[in-house]
Amino acid sequence: MQAPTPTPDKRTAVGMFFESVYRSIFRYGRLPRDGEGASYAVFNSLFLHIHPVKVAKHSLRFTYTFGLGVIATCLFVFLTFTGVWLMFYYFPSATEAYGRMLDLRSAVDFGFVLRNVHKWAAEAMVFFVVLHMARVFFTGAYKPPREFNWIIGIILLLLTLGLSFTGYLLPWDQLAFWAITVGTSIAGYAPVVGEPLRRFLLGSDSVGQEALIRFYVLHVVILPGLLSIFLAVHFWRIRKDGGLSHPADNDTPAIKE
Amino acid sequence: MKDVDTTQVYPRDPRKTYGLMELVKGTRPTVGLDEDTVYAWPHLLVRELVIFLVVAACLLGAAFLIDAPLEEIANPNSPPNPAKAPWYFLGLQELVSYSAFVGGVLVPTVIVLGLMLVPYIDRKRVGIGVWFARERWLANGLFLTFLVVMVILIIIGMYFRGPNWGFVLPWEATTGH
Ligand code: HEM
Repeated sequence: MQAPTPTPDKRTAVGMFFESVYRSIFRYGRLPRDGEGASYAVFNSLFLHIHPVKVAKHSLRFTYTFGLGVIATCLFVFLTFTGVWLMFYYFPSATEAYGRMLDLRSAVDFGFVLRNVHKWAAEAMVFFVVLHMARVFFTGAYKPPREFNWIIGIILLLLTLGLSFTGYLLPWDQLAFWAITVGTSIAGYAPVVGEPLRRFLLGSDSVGQEALIRFYVLHVVILPGLLSIFLAVHFWRIRKDGGLSHPADNDTPAIKE
Repeated sequence: MKDVDTTQVYPRDPRKTYGLMELVKGTRPTVGLDEDTVYAWPHLLVRELVIFLVVAACLLGAAFLIDAPLEEIANPNSPPNPAKAPWYFLGLQELVSYSAFVGGVLVPTVIVLGLMLVPYIDRKRVGIGVWFARERWLANGLFLTFLVVMVILIIIGMYFRGPNWGFVLPWEATTGH
């Protein structure tokens, strides 16, 4: 690939203007066709630079990861977008919330699709994060040097469960109310800390307006914020640990693929 | 003076304070892998994009076909019988029905601490990078057992528990109020 030297002949001033704007954003031309271009494409983009320039073929085999971590990441992205969109319609009040759910079904254009995508993506995320954890376990991918990324993973799993659980209350229907009543009473069984913890979560003796606002803030700000931070650390560690696990990480070269 | 080849793959751009150092062919001495690698663009990124689109399509499909449940408005005076936690906590709720301490405290603590300790207990670098490596039969067997037990408990909680947490068969289940 050539360094960006515009060829002045034959071009209109407008064409050159757009070319220079394009170059100011992307710097290294169109879709890369060679190794150097491919390297620059990844290296120079904020969104792509979390990837290494080159990856082991072994990591790309679908039957190695089954794409489970990537699926979980995609689900989180969709949940964030649909979640922010839902915030335009939702109101975290014990008297208003349920009505907003009915509105999503009848009054808001495609409101039912919005709510359904958010709901099914949320259920799927719990499921796929657990499958991803199983993949990591059964391929021995938590062994040195990846021990700490496994710990980060557990934190991500707990945050995922927390997000799902806090979201469960928000529709304020019978299902929501009683599931959270049961779920928080499980937390209350812990000796000494259990009951204070339960009251701290609910902001009161039982599930009510205080619990709704607490769960709402946890659900839309605190937990997704924490999850984003830990996810960034998770990805960064993958790079620092030399990419995905690989048979070459074994001490003994006994295993041939 | 000119006989040493100083051609760089990436000539340093004087306007920049950073740069991609080099690309190498052949074995990288720093990483013990065979040079069995491909460029992230397009090989990895295209795969990620495909997964992204498939996930989007599945979600949209599911959203049009199946409605998220919505029951009547919450009524603190009318508990359903049984009241069930979200599905992923039903394993714990099932255990709580035998012993509040075991299901509510002991098992969740043991699960979380146990999971966190896994990589510090099982440190031997064997069987990395392959599914169900034979050398890892014990670890894999234990983890598989753990997963299967959790799934069975969750299925019992979801389909075999009726009023007062009594045993019911799924096709006979009715939810009382
Ligand atoms: C929000 C949840 C999570 C997301 C979005 C996520 C995402 C990812 C992604 C995209 C990868 C790259 C490889 C792949 O796609 O499989 C990965 C690798 C990894 N994840 Fe996760 N993860 C999550 C939770 C977990 C959990 C619960 C664990 C384990 C307890 C875990 C442990 C690991 C480890 C050890 C690796 C490196 C695997 C290897 O080197 O083969 N992650 N994660």
